Amino acid sequence: MNEWSERYGGELQRHVAAMLGDAEEARDVVQDLWVTALRARPETGRAANVRAWLYRVATRRALDRISMRRRRSALLAAHSGDLGSGSVPAADAALDRLSEAAAARVRQGVAELPPRQRDAVWLRWIEELDYETIARRMGSSPEAARANVYQGMKKLRRDLADVWREEGPI
Amino acid sequence: MTGRRTNWGEEDLIAWILGDLDAGAAQALTEDLAACPDLRERAAEYRLLNRSAKGLREGPVIRWRRFDSPFGAMRVAASPTGLVALSWQDESDDAFVAGLERRYPSTPVVGDADRLAPAEEQLTEYFGRRRPRFDLLVDLTTLGDFQRAVLDAASGLDFGEAVTYTEIARRIGRPKASRAVGNALGRNPIPIIVPCHRVIRTDGTLGGYTGGLRYKRTLLDIEGRTDLLGSHAQTEIPLA
Repeated sequence: MNEWSERYGGELQRHVAAMLGDAEEARDVVQDLWVTALRARPETGRAANVRAWLYRVATRRALDRISMRRRRSALLAAHSGDLGSGSVPAADAALDRLSEAAAARVRQGVAELPPRQRDAVWLRWIEELDYETIARRMGSSPEAARANVYQGMKKLRRDLADVWREEGPI
Repeated sequence: MTGRRTNWGEEDLIAWILGDLDAGAAQALTEDLAACPDLRERAAEYRLLNRSAKGLREGPVIRWRRFDSPFGAMRVAASPTGLVALSWQDESDDAFVAGLERRYPSTPVVGDADRLAPAEEQLTEYFGRRRPRFDLLVDLTTLGDFQRAVLDAASGLDFGEAVTYTEIARRIGRPKASRAVGNALGRNPIPIIVPCHRVIRTDGTLGGYTGGLRYKRTLLDIEGRTDLLGSHAQTEIPLA
């Protein structure tokens, strides 16, 4: 393994960096590659095959990164583009796929909030009730209801970090 | 006009999503979002989150409600399709909610004051001897086929009617399964509404009732079946 990384590390790093245009990210990819190589090295010990295999895996990883980046930026555009400029139809299509995939996770995330936060988040965010009404329903004060909503929203965003991350590196 | 804010925090982004910002602040944040990619990226996760609100609103959710009854604190819960639980046995709201969470692990269980008001109203009328029939839908979809068949059969029993466990077994086409029928009724998640108390033993005694036979006696008393109560020492629950 060490032998491979000494022997091929430099050229793989340059190869991936050229594809990604980013030396830092290329280092990530190549580091990952050694972990993968450790688990799934090819049977054969012939040096030429090892090198070809490493290149193949590295290239695939780099392409994955590029396509994740595209999806990520489409996503960000879809969610921020309509603030100033108009929304982007292509990005909206990507977004709809995400919504479908993420919807179940978000629902799960809400289901797993602590009960007070869950009630408050639901009544404010989903039902759009005002804090007075929410407080009356929950038997608390508007301030406490508001605090529950904000704690719940923060927790939800954090708990679902992998949902956002699955769309690509930030 | 004060200087421009640039230190928007997470709370501001949440407030923005929820519509809690006043108009001036919302305008300023919107402008900063357009100008600042970093802020935009931080806001993106909340926008993604907010994007799921509509789906959440339209999808499955379990609502529940507590009210006072002659049996003590009573709690009811419903899916969008119908009632899924009725209980007066739980020690606390938390215990009741925890039971629902176990039964619906991926569906939010949310407290509610309005949606289940008809259930409270009708149950209160029933206890007051002013309502012989419930006009409420039930949702038995999480239950097994056998239990659902048993509860469906029990649901067909009218106010004041009483049949035997054996008769229910016969009606669902499992004439030898009267003991299993008893077990299925004992685990009825929506008692009273699904009237398992109207099922008794072949010898005319009442059989069992989850949580205590005095509840079954009280329900049969409400329905005018004092003939079934005999001179049993166990008293009914006072309704007034």
